[in-house]
Amino acid sequence: MLPHAEMVHWAFASGILFVGLCLLCEAIVGQEVWRMRPWRKYLWPGVAFSMGVLLWPVMAFFTNSSIHMYAHGSWAEVLMLAGGAELGLVHGRLKSPLWRLTWPIAFAVTGLAFIVHEQNPWFFARSAFLHHLLGWTFLLGAIVPLALVWRPRSAALQACMAFTIVAVAVMLFTDRDVAPVFGHLSPLAGPEHR
Amino acid sequence: MRRALLVAALVALAVPAVASAHATLRFTTPTFGHELQRGPTRVVLHFDQAVRVVPSSIKVLNGVGDQFALSTHVAGQDVVARVAPLKLGAYTVRWRAISADSHVVSGVWTFGVRVPAPPVADAYGAGGPTVAEHVVRWAWFLGLALAIGSLGFRVICLRGLAVPRVLERKIAVASGLGVVITIHAGIVAFSLRAEDALQLPFGDFLYGDLSPMAATRFGRAFVVMTLGFALVLALVYLSWLLDRSDLLVPAFALSVLFAGGLSWSGHDALDPGSSWKTAIADWVHIAAASVWIGGLATMAGLLWYGAPELRRSAFANFSRMATVLIALVLGAGSYLSIARLPHLSDLWTQGYGRVLLVKVGLVCLALAWGAFHHFVIRPALDRADAGFLARIGRSLVGESLVGVAVLLVAAVLVDSKPPIRGSDQPHGGVATTLRP
Repeated sequence: MLPHAEMVHWAFASGILFVGLCLLCEAIVGQEVWRMRPWRKYLWPGVAFSMGVLLWPVMAFFTNSSIHMYAHGSWAEVLMLAGGAELGLVHGRLKSPLWRLTWPIAFAVTGLAFIVHEQNPWFFARSAFLHHLLGWTFLLGAIVPLALVWRPRSAALQACMAFTIVAVAVMLFTDRDVAPVFGHLSPLAGPEHR
Repeated sequence: MRRALLVAALVALAVPAVASAHATLRFTTPTFGHELQRGPTRVVLHFDQAVRVVPSSIKVLNGVGDQFALSTHVAGQDVVARVAPLKLGAYTVRWRAISADSHVVSGVWTFGVRVPAPPVADAYGAGGPTVAEHVVRWAWFLGLALAIGSLGFRVICLRGLAVPRVLERKIAVASGLGVVITIHAGIVAFSLRAEDALQLPFGDFLYGDLSPMAATRFGRAFVVMTLGFALVLALVYLSWLLDRSDLLVPAFALSVLFAGGLSWSGHDALDPGSSWKTAIADWVHIAAASVWIGGLATMAGLLWYGAPELRRSAFANFSRMATVLIALVLGAGSYLSIARLPHLSDLWTQGYGRVLLVKVGLVCLALAWGAFHHFVIRPALDRADAGFLARIGRSLVGESLVGVAVLLVAAVLVDSKPPIRGSDQPHGGVATTLRP
């Protein structure tokens, strides 16, 4: 017996929101202050890596459509990769800042997976609208971590990155809301079933 | 308090669930893989939302493809088909429906009337393993050997030695790569098996319901192995990140344990004549062969040229370990051969037997090569010069390549059907498979 789709969206939205808020705090107070306590530098990369690991159960247990299985699997991998690379960098095991390219790659792969696995147009239903919005937010937002590879100290870029991730979390919270707030945008979407 | 909040946040993330934009099949009547005492008068599919039907939305097919479903209609969130009287036998249900979001969702499952339902992979219309499945299975074995072998080599053969950091990193990369290949090959193998059962064009397959396939022994093994190897990947990564080689011990143990998924869902666990003993023997066979071949490849590819100062000790340690592994491979393999092939003549009269003969031949070649290393090279190692050591490295690569060839033949063998013992046919010879 699997829990409802809302549960996983909310659980992962919570994790993504946590990461976004950590990044926002880091952007506001600056990296030196944020890292005054040593564990803090591992906090959001560790949560990102853990979310990647925890997406594997979602991939493996969700088998009522092939394309969703592949989408969940790709998210699991890129989150583990990007989170792991960031952990390696903050710990000092990885030296090259080019490892931060894993973040724009993760954003691009995630965005593409969102868009490809949603075949309905934007205004078909709320979930279709939000899938497109999430997909394009990730795709366009990939520019921010890409720029951060070369301008890692830029407070503006750090804040942009944080706000992008917070926005993604908010979209995920609304994507599977049980309340029928503008649930079906098109009559073709059939009767509301919630 | 702060630790409690952190733990609470992590626990909140640890709730696996599903995400779906399309109609999801909640339950069916008859249920997946159920054995009924009487043929059902109707087939019901219950979805999580209203759906529309298409012509021939539900088909109920017997072993020769006769259709027994009559009219189909929608009742709320159910799709119902009346069914003509069914005789004793195994049946396949194929269904298609239009989801509220206009996508066609599809699926297949099997049931039996007074006979056990066959696995969904044997549904009517499924063609069985193809060359693509053999290749994927080979990739699966290679990934497994690389993961288990490199971890085993590090944990057992390099235990107590001062391993250079560069070699540690290379072993972590090799084992991580092996795990990633294993996970990906598992996903592709699961998809190919499901595609064969569903018999849908690729576009429709993307929205096909794989849950009946996930409910099979193979599907459950896929789920368990995917989760297990994701955990192994995380442990290997953390071991490298934190410089904690002790974390490789649980990673090795878990990878050996989860390699058993293949045995738990294969011929040696499911076919007539199989038992828990054949399943365990198959697991021992696969695990020992993976440690042997993967360990050999790790020694030849990573250690021999990457850490020359460890060559002598590592070679001696590996040689000792290989003796035990070969004993396990031969013991378990011989037991399985006897269990799978009731007659000696099956070796040359049956397709399965002929593939097994090729495998035995390659294993003999690898054993002879290994024996040469063990009895000739090892005693001469102490007085070997640099040129001799380099030639040994090439010889190890050669033996590893024979091992890779063994894995290829093993992949074909695993996908082949062993001959069934005549006295073990279920239900007095009534065919429970739907595959033509």
